[in-house]
Amino acid sequence: MITCDEFFAEFADYLENQVSPEVRKELELHLSQCRACHVLYDSSRKTIQIVTDSSSFELPQNVADPIVDKVISRLRSEQDRKDREPS
Amino acid sequence: MSSLKKNRPKDPIRRFAAFQEILGFIPNLLHAQSRLPRLAEAHASLESAVRLRDGSIPRLQKERVLLCIAADRQDAYCSSMDGKVLALLGLPENCIGELLTSRSHKDLAPSDAASLQFCRKLARDSPSVSADDIDALHSSGFDDQSIFEAVFLTAFATYRCTLSAGLAPEPEFALPSFVSKEASKLPNATPRRGTAPHVHAAPRRNGPYVPAPYLSPKAFEPFGVLQKSHGFMPNFFRAQSLRPDLLQAELEAVEKILQPEDVLTRVQKECILLAVSAANLNSYCVAVHCNLLRGLGMTPEEGDQIAVDHRQSGLSESDRALLDFAVKLGTRASEFSREDVANLRGLGFTEEQVLECMVVTALNNFANTLQMGLGIQPDFEPPAAYEENKVHLSTASHRPSPEGGVSLATGAPQDSDGSLVALSQAGKLEAFEELVRRHTQLIYRALVAMLGNAADAEDAMQDAFLSAFRHIGEFQGRSKFSTWLVAIARNTALQRLRSRKNVESLDETGDAEDSDLRPHQLRAWEDNPEQSHSKSEIRQLVEKGILSLPAKYRVVVMLRDIQELSTDEVARQLGLSVPAVKVRLLRGRLMLREWLTPHFAASARRSAP
Repeated sequence: MITCDEFFAEFADYLENQVSPEVRKELELHLSQCRACHVLYDSSRKTIQIVTDSSSFELPQNVADPIVDKVISRLRSEQDRKDREPS
Repeated sequence: MSSLKKNRPKDPIRRFAAFQEILGFIPNLLHAQSRLPRLAEAHASLESAVRLRDGSIPRLQKERVLLCIAADRQDAYCSSMDGKVLALLGLPENCIGELLTSRSHKDLAPSDAASLQFCRKLARDSPSVSADDIDALHSSGFDDQSIFEAVFLTAFATYRCTLSAGLAPEPEFALPSFVSKEASKLPNATPRRGTAPHVHAAPRRNGPYVPAPYLSPKAFEPFGVLQKSHGFMPNFFRAQSLRPDLLQAELEAVEKILQPEDVLTRVQKECILLAVSAANLNSYCVAVHCNLLRGLGMTPEEGDQIAVDHRQSGLSESDRALLDFAVKLGTRASEFSREDVANLRGLGFTEEQVLECMVVTALNNFANTLQMGLGIQPDFEPPAAYEENKVHLSTASHRPSPEGGVSLATGAPQDSDGSLVALSQAGKLEAFEELVRRHTQLIYRALVAMLGNAADAEDAMQDAFLSAFRHIGEFQGRSKFSTWLVAIARNTALQRLRSRKNVESLDETGDAEDSDLRPHQLRAWEDNPEQSHSKSEIRQLVEKGILSLPAKYRVVVMLRDIQELSTDEVARQLGLSVPAVKVRLLRGRLMLREWLTPHFAASARRSAP
């Protein structure tokens, strides 16, 4: 069986589901027999799941809209000023 | 006479005893590389591993393959040598002649005929090889080992033929009359430029075509070295774990050719590999080298431009000429001549640099052939701009001429923002407003991650949008609009960070081993944390946790796991290589895991936020 270090070397790709079937087999064998790596894997997978589902840092529409409005009106007045300037 | 000026070392190459012993001589093709002994050694390492040793394919059959590929390329030097070697191995003259004239190879055992046809096809037009060809080999009795060796041998054949075309060494033997006679009858079978994959009507079954048993970096030391030097283990090498002996020889060659910077720079070599891979229509290798170049500090746009058409890139004139030279040698060897060498000399390149460019080109063809033959799956996405231009590249017999070149500056293809951008550039604020609304969420999240708090991010977003409109004329469409917008936001954020007292680095590249990477918390988590905690509770925890990360990890986790961009997109937006993003992502996720564990551990009591 592979060691914990070897498991950890593949860990990033395993989390992203980017390992070949052969490597996956080795990793899953290791997971079935090593509690520490199993805990690490299970909690990391859940971390990603939770973070992805959390809708964190969503800017509410009622905050976003006034910011965009402000930007556009400022740019519009800049354009107007330019138009009025004699070229 | 060799096309490069000779420099016979006083101390003749002694390292090539195997050649002396098995072939009876040291090939002039090796002598022709004696200016840079490490290059000759790289070649010798490959050749002795795959040609001079017995493997899954008998030597006689290997020599047949080499001869046929050389003859298909009208390579007089290699054909004469291989014809002679076959004669020394006892193959009668008429059989050698038959090899060259017959396409069906009826006189050979069916399995030999099948592998010969496969290798010729792979060498001639590697993008046309598919899983069906591998199935055909299996059904004529080939096992995975032999298929692997056949692919590797073919890759080596393209390596030596590329070198032979460039170096034009003096043949050891007169071209046997039957070889020259028969070869001249062959239709001009110089390597074809590949056909774009889209012409294959049936969906292609993906590789890899042969299994790649797990090979641990501990058990196979070169993997450990590779992982350290690349920061990750490219699929390209992993996929060759079936034959550690061949892989080892290849890694030795790769190291000797690519590692030293005393002749051409690492960037120049990567540019050669990128441009020639692109001309060979090898998306896999294009993606790899775009990423490696990003790791060396090149912008994603510049890399894409080299892949699509290096002549329109911002490289220096001499470097563009170097790439012209490499692309011609790598894909149209029959048109290659001494004048091409003279031209590079005229631009100030030394003999050593020209030689190294040839060897890097040969190595590229080796890698392209191996990748296609084994169906190695990509680590990264190839640039969209390259994929779209592939059709164009495959139909042109030459790369586009300077006048008709393909410049990405003519508008990023696949970008759905394209028409709104054009209107905004014409001063239409309504269009700009729509653009901004499309990307508010992305820019806000990027800014929160860079600045570390929400209030600053809202402020900075306003500045970023103002600045975007004022500079929109400078946007050239070399990247997606959203990527450009993130870059503007990044500048805005950096200005703010600079005016703060505590400057937190977004860029600090030292991803050196922290002791922090290995997990501390090993408490098991609840089965279903998302059910036992309210959504708002989880969101608050996650936001707090993310803000507690160092900036460079925060940005990557934010864009990948919250904004849900692909790893490749994150890399583009931040101007980082994919491997660098992967390293940061793992670190960020693990830190977040540590931070969240007290809240979600199975034994933890639910605590109010």
